[in-house]
Amino acid sequence: MQSSYKTYSSFFIGPLRRFLRLPLCHSLVRQQFYSTRNSGKFSASKAAVVLLITLSSIAVTGCQKVIDVDLNTAEKKYVVEAVITDQPNSCKVLLTQTKNFDENNAFNGVSGASITISDNNAAPVTLTETSAGVYEASGLKGLSGHTYRMTIIAGGQTFRATSTMPVFVPFDSLYISERTFFDKSNKYATVSYTDPAGRGNAYRYIQYVNGIKEKTIFVRDDDLTDGRKIERILFFFADDDEEEKKKLKTNDVVRVEMLGIDYPIYKYWYSLSQSSTGENQSATPGNPVTNIEGGALGYFSAHTLQSKTIVVP
Amino acid sequence: MRSILLFIFFSLPAILLAQDKYTISGTITSAKTGETLIGASVRIKSSSTGTTSNEYGFYSLSLQKGSYTIEFSAIGLGLKSQQVELNRNLTINISLEEETRELETVVVKTTGRRSITNPQMGMERLTMAETKNIPMLFGERDVLKTIQLLPGIKSAGEGSSGFYVRGGAADQNLIMLDEATVYNASHLLGFFSTFNSDAIKDVTVYKGGMPAQYGGRLSSVLDIRMNEGNNQDYDVSGGIGLISTKLNVEGPIQKGKSSFLASGRRTYVDMFLKLSKDSAINKNQLYFYDLNTKLNYQLGKKDRLYLSGYFGRDKLGVGETFALQWGNGTGTVRWNHIFSSKLFSNTSFIYSNYDYKITIRSGSNDFDIFSQIRDVNLKQEFQWYAGSRNTLRFGANAIYHTIRPGEITATSTSYINTSNRQRRYSMENAIYASNTFKASDKVNLTYGARLTGFSVLGKGDYFALDTAGNVIDTFSYKSGEIVKTYLNLEPRVALSYVFNPSVSIKASYVRNVQNLHLVSNSTTGSPTDKWVASTNIIKPEVSDQVSLGWYKNLSQNKYELTVEAYYKTMQNQVDYRTGANVFINSDAIESQLLFGKGRAYGIEWLLRKQTGKLSGWFSYTLSKTERKIDGINNNNWYNARQDRTHDVAIVGSYQLNKKWNFSANWIYYTGDAVTFPAGKYRVDNQVIFYYTERNGYRMPSYHRLDLGATLQLKKRKKYTSELAFSLYNAYGRENAYTIAFRESKDDPQKTEAVRTALFKYIPSVSYNFKF
Repeated sequence: MQSSYKTYSSFFIGPLRRFLRLPLCHSLVRQQFYSTRNSGKFSASKAAVVLLITLSSIAVTGCQKVIDVDLNTAEKKYVVEAVITDQPNSCKVLLTQTKNFDENNAFNGVSGASITISDNNAAPVTLTETSAGVYEASGLKGLSGHTYRMTIIAGGQTFRATSTMPVFVPFDSLYISERTFFDKSNKYATVSYTDPAGRGNAYRYIQYVNGIKEKTIFVRDDDLTDGRKIERILFFFADDDEEEKKKLKTNDVVRVEMLGIDYPIYKYWYSLSQSSTGENQSATPGNPVTNIEGGALGYFSAHTLQSKTIVVP
Repeated sequence: MRSILLFIFFSLPAILLAQDKYTISGTITSAKTGETLIGASVRIKSSSTGTTSNEYGFYSLSLQKGSYTIEFSAIGLGLKSQQVELNRNLTINISLEEETRELETVVVKTTGRRSITNPQMGMERLTMAETKNIPMLFGERDVLKTIQLLPGIKSAGEGSSGFYVRGGAADQNLIMLDEATVYNASHLLGFFSTFNSDAIKDVTVYKGGMPAQYGGRLSSVLDIRMNEGNNQDYDVSGGIGLISTKLNVEGPIQKGKSSFLASGRRTYVDMFLKLSKDSAINKNQLYFYDLNTKLNYQLGKKDRLYLSGYFGRDKLGVGETFALQWGNGTGTVRWNHIFSSKLFSNTSFIYSNYDYKITIRSGSNDFDIFSQIRDVNLKQEFQWYAGSRNTLRFGANAIYHTIRPGEITATSTSYINTSNRQRRYSMENAIYASNTFKASDKVNLTYGARLTGFSVLGKGDYFALDTAGNVIDTFSYKSGEIVKTYLNLEPRVALSYVFNPSVSIKASYVRNVQNLHLVSNSTTGSPTDKWVASTNIIKPEVSDQVSLGWYKNLSQNKYELTVEAYYKTMQNQVDYRTGANVFINSDAIESQLLFGKGRAYGIEWLLRKQTGKLSGWFSYTLSKTERKIDGINNNNWYNARQDRTHDVAIVGSYQLNKKWNFSANWIYYTGDAVTFPAGKYRVDNQVIFYYTERNGYRMPSYHRLDLGATLQLKKRKKYTSELAFSLYNAYGRENAYTIAFRESKDDPQKTEAVRTALFKYIPSVSYNFKF
């Protein structure tokens, strides 16, 4: 619900500020000057729009500048990305570590960990390291309703997590919807499925455009949509300068993965999207609520996975 | 506490037995408008004996038999003296003349604004005339932004009407308009306050030592009184500004006896949108409006009736897709009755409402969300001017709160389910008494207490939670059944010691209790922040504050110097869990919350010059505010977001001549305490930030200069007008509004910090008129 409110506020503010595509650190006078020059004709409504933009979008944009911030360093922590899905050979664990802010973004895997996963209390299966920091168990396939237990021993620390694979909810269809906001019409991928009766189902969608992952974290529970046929539009936004580049265009190939996730994993992604992505607008920043015990960051998710592809008409 | 009650009890006979004394009482009004004057001074010439008028302009002064010269005065108005021969009780109603606007007298001449002798501390009063020339963002006069320039009161952020008082949170301020609680005092996402300056008479803010008649919030009381309406003559005034147009109409219904006032304000830029032929533009909405109305009747010599109402609303809408609207509505009926020259009574019946509605129409998931808080409130107060030494105030108050946390209504084609959160009911009762006792010429004492009982009422489900916030048990209550009652005694004590007529020290202790809590998931405040009442799990917030102050008037009252220090502790503070969901679809809102405590301390300096061509003030606050919440920051103390070590404001206004007034203010404060990452990691091929401590960093220091100028235009008969110019952030400082972290766009191998600044040089001009 929160995210849907946020989404819709962005609708309001995003297009408004994009309408004139002006950095807002300019004074009103300068903005009006610009708008006059760009449109060739100064109109009252345009002036009003300038004012509206200044008033409303200041809340999210304004004058942006990259600055130096002297950040502390922290002791390294392990980061676990562990998944098991209902697809064959899908059990995979990535083990990395945190880095300081000013280091580069190459996160090298941590080798030499001992990782086991067990299915409904069956004998644990040991994962083998297939490349640095990547651990896999070939032949393991998750089943809905089964609870998986993971144990990781790395650098003298032990981390444990459990996750239950939810019931399989069929991904009925993927299509493109068109929505107009303020001045522009945009195309969005839309997923359709029927939520089973009974609260507690949760979903995550991952969107790939022409093979490249789009970064928006789409995560939903069924709190307000329990038991309904759902047509979920995957709204996403880009910064001003990247908007044209990122919006869906005819002949783009869009692939959407739909993940049926359990509630602790919903909480993980929800809190991550709210407070850990570096945006500092709303919630107080913090680490996401993890299901891993023992002091590691990351998550262990047993989920169903389906994927559909469409070419944007 | 018991000893205080006993003291009151035993001192009563002494009060009643006072001999050979007579009482002068009456009402002080403005001659020009007939408006009653709040806090006007009544003083015996060349003596320290005197009193001030109450919030309805009533005063009462008991003196020994004899002859006296009594001087009546008020801020901005001329002094009037009257010779009296006191050998019986007298009623003297006084009208004070406005100082004529000749150059020589434009310069304000007043006796000190704040009393050296009154034990009341931590209080500031503003009249609208004083706020008139202070330059503001978009040239929009705003009382909430003006009080932020006083020591101990801090802005909630760039351009924000939200404020923090002595380390308290934004929801710990009791904001009242004609006694009605205003639950969300902001327009346009916080950039403007709901108070239209044209309709306001007086603003009093209490940062500490709150009198016993106020209760319900921890940190401050902001008592805003609306104008009553001119009962002498018709007045029309208005203004056209960059943002809004305003119109104020007032006048007598029956001259000298009754009057009306209607004051409206609306932002108008969206009107231009309608001119556009493009339907994508002309269907959008963005506006707010306020409407203040008041009627008052003098019913005979002893009774007066006031009816006042406020209604304001904000509306944002994008075509037919999305709309958000919110607003307050309040109504107050008040009846003043003078039982005798010594006993004044006021009875108020108050209604207050705040609600918001979100409408989403995007095709398949259409729905509305509605949320509301509503109060019905009855207050009875007596002011008993028992003798020359004792002034008592006592009364009772009962408020019935109804909270509708969230109601989702879906359309028939929507895939959202219609659902309602349970309504929450509660009753907040209080009785209070306090006495201001003039112990000697040097010592004054105010002591009293407020006893509050807060009852959480059915119907509804209440819960038991485990430490992780999961519901482990549910208790269902029937309609009207008491879930839980919290009883709290709030002692209020204040003492002043006068060294000489221009120097005094004061000390006070106050306890405050708060049973309505605003849970906000955003740093800037949002119209959708939720008010929740205390429950079996959410305990009443309690604060204890001690303060000590030193007051000095310099150079024949030309300058006032105030230094106050305070120490405050706060219990049962509320905070959100990480990743909490405000729109949780469960009645157990507690599952999203964490609890802890806070402490705040500081010293405030205020040097004010209020006479002469140049007037203004210098304010400086040195302070510390910390919180300790179970489950945050490893349960260690951490700086609250609003912890700002230094906070400086310099406000100046210079009357050059009859035509021109120039003004400026400069603000500086230490940046807010914020949470920045200590590292980063990768999840799903995306950089995620790693946090180790809450609010361990600081935003850059904030500073800004604003300039203003007012030009009085030619007077034509009764028609006066002026042009007001202002320049916000005159030297264009790019103050950080937010600092965000992201992967660099130029080099994805790097992460960078991005600062967003909002306002840089915002000029504005407005035209104001009156006839």
